[in-house]
Amino acid sequence: MDGDDQPAGGVDEGEIEMEGDTPPERDLNADLATDTSDAVKIDTTTRDVKPVSWKDIVVVMRKPFLKLGRTDLMPFLATTMNDNMIRHTGAGAQINYYLTDVLAVGVEGQYFAKNFREPFDLVGRQARRLPTVNKYNFAAALNFHYVPVYGKFAVLDKHLIHWETYFTAGVGITQSEVIPRDPRYDAFTNILITPNIGASMRFFLAKWFTVNLGIRDYIFVDKFEPTDRMMYTSASDAKDHAETAFINNVMFQLGASFWIPPSFEYTTFR
Amino acid sequence: MTNNARLLIGSVLAAGLLAGPGLAAAENKSDLDSQPAVRHRLLLVAKRLEATPMFESTINADFRHFVGGGLKLEYHLNDMLSFGVIGVGSASIDTKLTERVLKTLEESDPTPPMGASSGSREPSKTEFSQHLNKMPFHGAAYASVTPWYGKLAAFGKAFVNFDFYFQGGVAFAQLTSSCEASVCDDTNPGAPEMGQNGPVPDDNPNDDPPLNSGFKPGLYLGGGIHVFVNDFMAIDLAVRDYAFTDNPSGADFNADLAVKDDDSRFLHHLFAGVGVSIMLPMKVKRTR
Repeated sequence: MDGDDQPAGGVDEGEIEMEGDTPPERDLNADLATDTSDAVKIDTTTRDVKPVSWKDIVVVMRKPFLKLGRTDLMPFLATTMNDNMIRHTGAGAQINYYLTDVLAVGVEGQYFAKNFREPFDLVGRQARRLPTVNKYNFAAALNFHYVPVYGKFAVLDKHLIHWETYFTAGVGITQSEVIPRDPRYDAFTNILITPNIGASMRFFLAKWFTVNLGIRDYIFVDKFEPTDRMMYTSASDAKDHAETAFINNVMFQLGASFWIPPSFEYTTFR
Repeated sequence: MTNNARLLIGSVLAAGLLAGPGLAAAENKSDLDSQPAVRHRLLLVAKRLEATPMFESTINADFRHFVGGGLKLEYHLNDMLSFGVIGVGSASIDTKLTERVLKTLEESDPTPPMGASSGSREPSKTEFSQHLNKMPFHGAAYASVTPWYGKLAAFGKAFVNFDFYFQGGVAFAQLTSSCEASVCDDTNPGAPEMGQNGPVPDDNPNDDPPLNSGFKPGLYLGGGIHVFVNDFMAIDLAVRDYAFTDNPSGADFNADLAVKDDDSRFLHHLFAGVGVSIMLPMKVKRTR
C-alpha cells in the first residue's frame, strides 16, 4: 500500500478484522489430503506483525499531562484562614519531584508577613484587654503528595480543562515570635516542629504550566508570652515560663507551577 | 486576607482558567475546534428545580459563630443560568476569642469616682456579652451562573459529574441583641450624665444600647460545587458571603465613647455550606 493510502497509525487495512466479515468454510479432509512434502517449518519466534481488531481500539483519551519523572517548581502565596486576631501572608516556593504519576516528594519554604485584624484593635479598645498573640517568621517542610482524584471540566461549553486533586502530608519547622503585650519587654522566638496536612487542586493550562490552589493545616504547639510577664523581664526567662497552646494554622495557598522538563512524551501504545 | 482579597484572588484564578484554553487552542488548531466540547452530555441542571436542605456555618467569625440549617431553592433556566433563594436559621456560639475575653472581665462595674460617669472603662461580663448580637435568620436571593461542568475519577474507581457555580444577588439578615434595660440604661449616649455632684461627661459606652439588631439588607456573593452522586442528587459545597451593615460587638467602634449608628460598618459575613441537592424532575435529559 502506498503512503497516501496508508491509514492513520500505519495499520494495513487487510490486517484488521472487520466485524461482519465471514471466514471461508474449512474442510478437514481437504487439509489432510494436502501434499506437505515441500513444507517449510515456520519461525514462530520472530513474528512481529499481529492482526489488529477494531475491538482493540478504544475511544479513551490519553492522560493529557504526565508527571512521572518531572519536577514541579511552584512559587506560591498563602494567607491565614482561621485566626481572627492576626493574619499572616506567606510567600514561598515548593520543589516537588514526581516518583510516579500520582506520588511526589518535595520540599517547601515560606516567609510570613503579619498584620492585625480588626478584633485585635477592638479587644484593646472595647474590652480593655491586650491580646496574647505570636507572629510566624518562616517555615519549611518535607512533604509527600498523593493524587487520588483527577477530572476534566468544560468552560462555557467550549473548552476542556483537566484538573486533579492531591493530598499532602509532611513535617517541618516553623519559627514563631512572641509579640510582647508591653513593648518594654523583649520578644523571644520559638522553633516548632510542624507536621502538616492539606488538600489542593491543580489545573492544567499547558504542558509546562499549572495553577494550584489548596488548603494546608500546619499543626504545632506554640509557646506564648506568660500572663505574668512582669515577673520574667528577660526574654530567656519569659521563654522558660512560656504558656503553650496547640495551634492549627490553616492557610489558603495559591501557586503557579512550572514543570521541568517543560514537555513529555508518551511511552505507551495508547 | 480580607474578603475583598479573596474575591480578587478568585477573579484572577477564574480569568486564568478562562484564558488558559486560549493558549492551548493556539497550540492545537484542528477541525474539532468547531465541535461541541462534550457530546451526549447529561443535562443535570437544565430546566430543573433544585431543592437543597443544607447546613451552614460562619468561617473565622470574630465574636460569635452562627451555625444553622436551611433550604436553598433554585430554578435552572438552562445548564448555565439559574435563579434562587436561600434561607437559613442559625444558633450562635461564642468564639474562642469571646470566651477568653469573658474569662478576664469583672463581674460588675465598680462605683464611679467623683466626676466620672462610670467606675471603669472596661465592660463587665454582662455588658460585654449582652452587647454581642445574634443572627437567627439570614438569606439571599440571587442569580447563578454555572460556567464549568465536568467529570472526575476518584481512586480510579468512582466516576462522578460535577459543576462549579458562581452566584450574586441581594442578602438579608435578621439580627438581634438582648441587652437588658438594667444593663444598657443610658438613654442618651454621648450626652452628659447626672453625677453625684452635677452633670459629668458621658465617658462610658458600655451602658449604651448596642444598636446592632433589626433587619439588614445587603449584597450576596457565593460560589460552590455540585458533585452528582446520581442523575438527580448532588452534594452541594459552597462558600457564601452575606455583606451588610453590622456592629457585631455592639460596642463603641469609632472611639467617641458612645455607641451610635455610625459605629456600624459594611461587613462581610463569610459562611461555608454543605447540602444535598435534589433535582426535580428526577429524569435527566442528554445532549446530542
